Amino acid sequence: MKDIKIKNILSLVAFLAMFSCADDFIIVAPDDENSEDFFNTEEDYQKALVSAYDMLQATARNYQLGEIASDNTLCGGQNALDTPGYQEIDDMIHTPVNAQLREIWTWMYTGVNRTNYIMEFQDKLDFPSKTSVLAQTRFLRAYYYFQLVKWFGDVPLAVDARIQFGDQFNIERTPKAEVYTQIEQDLMFAASNLPYTQPQTGRITKGAAEALLGKVYLYQDKFTESATVLESLINNGPHRLLSSTEAPLMWENENENNIESVFEIQYSDIDGGSYDCFYCLEGNFAIGFNGVRGYVGPVFDFGFSFNVPVQEVVDAFEPGDIRLEYSILDIEQWIADNPTATYDETAGFEQTGYFNRKYIARQGDLNLPDAALTNPNNTRAIRYADVLLMAAEALNRGGISDTRAQDYLNEVRNRAMLDDVTTTGPNLTNDIYKERRVELVGEGHRFFDLVRTGRAATEIDGFQTGKHELFPIPIQEIQLAGNVWEQNPGY
Amino acid sequence: MKQTFLKILTLLFVAYSSAQSLDVSGTVSDNTGFPIPGVNVLVKDTSKGAVTDFDGNFTITNIEIGSTLTFSYIGYVTKEFVVTDNSKLTIQLEEDLAQLDEVVVIGYGTQTKKEITGAVSVVGAETIEALKPTRIEQALQGQVAGVNITSQSGSPGGGATISIRGVSTNGDSRPLILVDGNVIEDLSVLNPNDIESMNILKDATAGIYGVRAANGVILIKTKSGRKEMPLTLEYNAFGGFQETTRRIPVLNAAQYGLIVNEAFAAAGDTPPFGDLSTLGVGTDWQDKVFETAPIQSHSIMIKGGGEKSTYAYSGSFLTQDGIVGGDDSNFNRFTNNINYTLDFLENFKLTSGLTLMRTNRRNLPENSNASILFNALNNAPTLDVRDENGDFTKSIGLGAEVVNPLAQMADASDRTRVFRLSGNAGLSYNFLDHFTVQSNIQFNYSEVDVKRYNPIVDFGPGKVFNVLDEANLFEGLDYFRDYTFDAFLKYENEFNDVHKLNVLLGTSVFKTAGEFTGVNGFGLPNSIELATLENAERLVNINQNRGGINATFDSRLLSYFARVQYDYKGKYLLSAVVRRDGSTKFGPENQFGFFPSGSVGWVASDEDFLKESNFFDLLKFRASYGVLGNDRIGDFRFVSLLNGEGTYIFNDQEFIGTATGGIANPEIRWEKQKTLDIGVDMRFLNNTVDITADYFKKTTEDLLVIPEVSGLLGVGGAPVVNGGVVENEGVEFAIGYTDNFSDDFKFSVRYNVTYIRNEVISVNTDTGILEGGSFGIGQPQPSRMEAGFPIGYFSGLQTDGIYQNQAEINGSVFGNVIPQPGDIRYIDQNGDGVIDTDDNVELGSPIPDATMGLNISFDYKNFDFAAYAFASVGNEIVRNYENTNPLTNSTIYTLNRWTGEGSTNVYPRVTGGTSPNNLFSDYFVEDGSFVRLQNVQLGYSFSDKALENSKISKLRLYVAGTNLFTLTEYKGFDPTASTGAPIGGGIDQGFYPTAKQFLLGINLKF
Repeated sequence: MKDIKIKNILSLVAFLAMFSCADDFIIVAPDDENSEDFFNTEEDYQKALVSAYDMLQATARNYQLGEIASDNTLCGGQNALDTPGYQEIDDMIHTPVNAQLREIWTWMYTGVNRTNYIMEFQDKLDFPSKTSVLAQTRFLRAYYYFQLVKWFGDVPLAVDARIQFGDQFNIERTPKAEVYTQIEQDLMFAASNLPYTQPQTGRITKGAAEALLGKVYLYQDKFTESATVLESLINNGPHRLLSSTEAPLMWENENENNIESVFEIQYSDIDGGSYDCFYCLEGNFAIGFNGVRGYVGPVFDFGFSFNVPVQEVVDAFEPGDIRLEYSILDIEQWIADNPTATYDETAGFEQTGYFNRKYIARQGDLNLPDAALTNPNNTRAIRYADVLLMAAEALNRGGISDTRAQDYLNEVRNRAMLDDVTTTGPNLTNDIYKERRVELVGEGHRFFDLVRTGRAATEIDGFQTGKHELFPIPIQEIQLAGNVWEQNPGY
Repeated sequence: MKQTFLKILTLLFVAYSSAQSLDVSGTVSDNTGFPIPGVNVLVKDTSKGAVTDFDGNFTITNIEIGSTLTFSYIGYVTKEFVVTDNSKLTIQLEEDLAQLDEVVVIGYGTQTKKEITGAVSVVGAETIEALKPTRIEQALQGQVAGVNITSQSGSPGGGATISIRGVSTNGDSRPLILVDGNVIEDLSVLNPNDIESMNILKDATAGIYGVRAANGVILIKTKSGRKEMPLTLEYNAFGGFQETTRRIPVLNAAQYGLIVNEAFAAAGDTPPFGDLSTLGVGTDWQDKVFETAPIQSHSIMIKGGGEKSTYAYSGSFLTQDGIVGGDDSNFNRFTNNINYTLDFLENFKLTSGLTLMRTNRRNLPENSNASILFNALNNAPTLDVRDENGDFTKSIGLGAEVVNPLAQMADASDRTRVFRLSGNAGLSYNFLDHFTVQSNIQFNYSEVDVKRYNPIVDFGPGKVFNVLDEANLFEGLDYFRDYTFDAFLKYENEFNDVHKLNVLLGTSVFKTAGEFTGVNGFGLPNSIELATLENAERLVNINQNRGGINATFDSRLLSYFARVQYDYKGKYLLSAVVRRDGSTKFGPENQFGFFPSGSVGWVASDEDFLKESNFFDLLKFRASYGVLGNDRIGDFRFVSLLNGEGTYIFNDQEFIGTATGGIANPEIRWEKQKTLDIGVDMRFLNNTVDITADYFKKTTEDLLVIPEVSGLLGVGGAPVVNGGVVENEGVEFAIGYTDNFSDDFKFSVRYNVTYIRNEVISVNTDTGILEGGSFGIGQPQPSRMEAGFPIGYFSGLQTDGIYQNQAEINGSVFGNVIPQPGDIRYIDQNGDGVIDTDDNVELGSPIPDATMGLNISFDYKNFDFAAYAFASVGNEIVRNYENTNPLTNSTIYTLNRWTGEGSTNVYPRVTGGTSPNNLFSDYFVEDGSFVRLQNVQLGYSFSDKALENSKISKLRLYVAGTNLFTLTEYKGFDPTASTGAPIGGGIDQGFYPTAKQFLLGINLKF
């Protein structure tokens, strides 16, 4: 009797085991596509390219922090403990523990990975716009690597393949020179395969590729190559300086993507986000942070009083220079001229009374959903004025032609209603440097210009030669990549 | 598949016939002679039986002479009777004080209390009735050893976190909760009055639920009718009002002026207030914000049963206003619940239930620097509510976050509606005497409908919460559907009257799926009446990154399980369980998990050597061990999907790109918890004293952690990896004393205490640390998971008093910010000559060392009284509700500030300038221990005599107070509050305190 029951039970167990054919009940296909099965249509490539562009918006941090690092501005903010990573860089006391540097590192590598994702699958499909897609992709890869090299020096170099989970332990820092070679190749490909004008604003153009290539050469003191490519752009490209009457309005939102803008990073005011995810935003988050603390009044919106210009940079403008007024906001003067305006002068840290007028919030945009985070102000990443000044510098420092260098320099000066410069040689070099500072104030170039020309130690308080030319690799990034990289010198 | 299964069962079924003899009938009554309806009368070792009718009568036909009849009824000692002839029987049942035969649901079956070999606690309907919870969780707080409840918010409809025997995972530590077998994640939709019992499986007993068991399992059974029960109607209602338990003392206007002036002067700025004497008391913002708010609840229940069926219906309505915002934070709930059971045949039974619920919750911002209470604490007392034009004042200069809290409430419109339909149906078929095959299906369908309207509002210059340009609206509708289908076979038999065997074999499938939709509308007219999406100028779909295709999820579980329970003479008990679970959360290699567990028990009091002594009514030793799982992670973390964010602007328009999302880890597998429990249950002194004590140790391995990974991998979400071990070790002790001194006086006191030691054994990530929580603005995360510490401990600087003078500073070590006299001095733990995050040490943990509860009740004649308190000892809370802007208000202790050498060594100076005082340190960590008197109730029941001529069978009136007072050193609103996050809990951003309630109620039964 008992045995029969046991047999019955065993047969039941056997039948229950047959249920295992129902195991497919737990095979569920995800809603989203698998990243390994993508790139089946032209649209797939275009969509991946949009995502590769996306990380350009995260460079709002690079430009803002680049300016704070320089002698142009102080960090500011609410108090001395507001965003310690910024405060320390401003004071040149930064260490390998720095949340903001880590974000720059991560965000730029996100850009690198997104471009390499496309490159990894570049041969999967042929379609009419493929060359253009690859050219834009390679420009973007070059741009992200150039950021990494500027900030951190030697960096891990991945080409045409994503860095996947596990790879991070087996990747060395590549010498800067090799990274530069890759950047140059990518930019040459982009310059030869893209048109000067694109049907959509915001797309990379041949001009952008040439300008960035010229800049990359200049950063390596390759003056001849730099001058050649920049003059090619000057002579063949569609760009020009805005006139002296147009220029004061260059930074208003209605004048975005103007003829002077060679490479412009696009932002929007209709799709915001939160403080938890800066890289997710479609708005330019640096704008709100740069703004006037507690401001009420016409034209501008309030902000958090970061990145405030110092008196010294105001004094660097020559008398009569029309750029001062549209570059730097003297808030006391502004309130005197606009008596309805007020601001919170006591609340902020390191307030100087000056604000970065190029990149502070304007009224009239939608700011959805957050006024501080969703400003539409585009970053004018490379302007034609920058191209002219870079060309002048390359021609002069490369000993190629001081005459042409003067011409380009004076084009910029005349637009600012200033007289011609007639100096040559090292004096001309200095004049070009001076011009770069005032023309490009607030745009995040100054620190790197000082470093690459060897002037940082004399201009920036606390700057130590042999150390501060590069920022430290964030300590966690060294640890998380297997703890084998050597830290940059001095940190 | 199921058909095959049934065929087999049919094969097993063979014709059965029995010898014929006599019919027996009789009456069952209690010891007062009152007939008991619904008593189960069973012929032992057969499936034959009957249930007594309303008059306690029963009849059983065709039974053999010599058969044993068992008479069982909940709350009474089961009686056996051997049939010798067909004379009419009169059976008297004794009330069972120990209730050892009380049936406890343990998952796919029941056991009597005496048979249970695991750590299982029961909360019965009486407890729930006594506590009047608006949420079920409140009925667990302090009632059950090992179960700790923290309130996420005291606002109406606010959530609570249940943790069973400590925090055993860094991830989602919620237990599995089943209501009549139906999975439920949000208990706010349940009407507490519908609940018959809550059984908490705390140890390896939960192993029958396999991969979902590691956080413990709570089985909730709803009320049902009984057989042969006349229709009864109950009406229960209470109403009353609620108040805040606490106001945090802040500075009045004159004190505020003094402090602000001092802070400005210290920063080298001109003090803003001239003559302080004109400032007076100013506005007490908490006074403006808190109000007395009404609450009421009504419920009816109809129950009954016939010869073969039972039925129950209940309906309820609860409406509760908030002590902040009143009607603007109202929560209301309608529930309808029907249960029906039918015995088609003696051995073929149906159970079914259907529940329909609706809740509506209006929300105000809370527990953040955007909350009403945060603003009430920080807004300047010198400001009036409204200015001379009748407009709300603007908090100019008080930083970007602090705004007028009344302006905030005036413009709020945010509500969440939940509609939920749940059902269950089960069939059971008993055959061959000992076999039962049972199949249940349970389903839930719910809709969560969110509408949030933000009108144009200007709180003042530079306020981050301003909506200056256009009003906007969010409307979301999420759908959730799940079902559970169980099928199992049970075999029950007793051999030679001494070997009792129960075998269970079963299978279960569970599927939960859902869909998320939502649209933001912009450019709305600035009027709440016109706030509809139709009136919006532009619409943005929340699923736009997916090309407008709604986000969905679908996760499933396929399980097989088996359990063997054996006992010898009811003395030696043994139970073993295996479960195999297949989960969609894990990749093909690790989809299936195998979870064995087992337990043993020894009822020593049934041994002859103890029986003689007659001291113990029960003495039982238990032990259990098992491997349980936890699969509460996101879906598809084992495959790299294109669900990342990648949007860019061309031609001033958004283009949605495609990017990879979270980094995949194909190797992830479930968390594995090894859990040991050793316990003892005893009753003595004629069942008046009972003690339950347990020792437990739970080691959770393969914790699913989301470690920091190299930035080279990019953004989009770190992978989930198995890395980490956490251990919870503890002791639970519960003692109760219940005595019915006389018919007029009954007394009961119960106490329980739980000690838990939580320690992280390892965190196998590259940094060995997981961080969470937030403190201040832009400061490092204060909470950590790290080997050697409790999970979620606070890591910060240790203070060493206040610098009294410049000489002390000159000789000391400090960080980037150079201190001045009056600033906090920190300890350079690593001696490297600089104060920085490397000097952080453990500053405490949000996990209490001990929690306890105390219940006292007595009935005297027609009066009944109950009081209940609970306590938590040794948990820390981080004070993070103070804004640091020099013009914001501060709490009263700021008056103790340092004002010069020797003035204080605790409180730093006030300054509007730079100081290191706001770095995260023990200055902000407080002892969160408390004792709370949660409930006091006094009731009066009208005597039977008084009700004699009415149809009312019971009428009771009562007054109750809940949350009457809390003893604590903690300075904030409510020490019971926490977000419940394993890493990041216990940080107080101005928690909404749980209200104090004064209630008047009625229980009426026809």
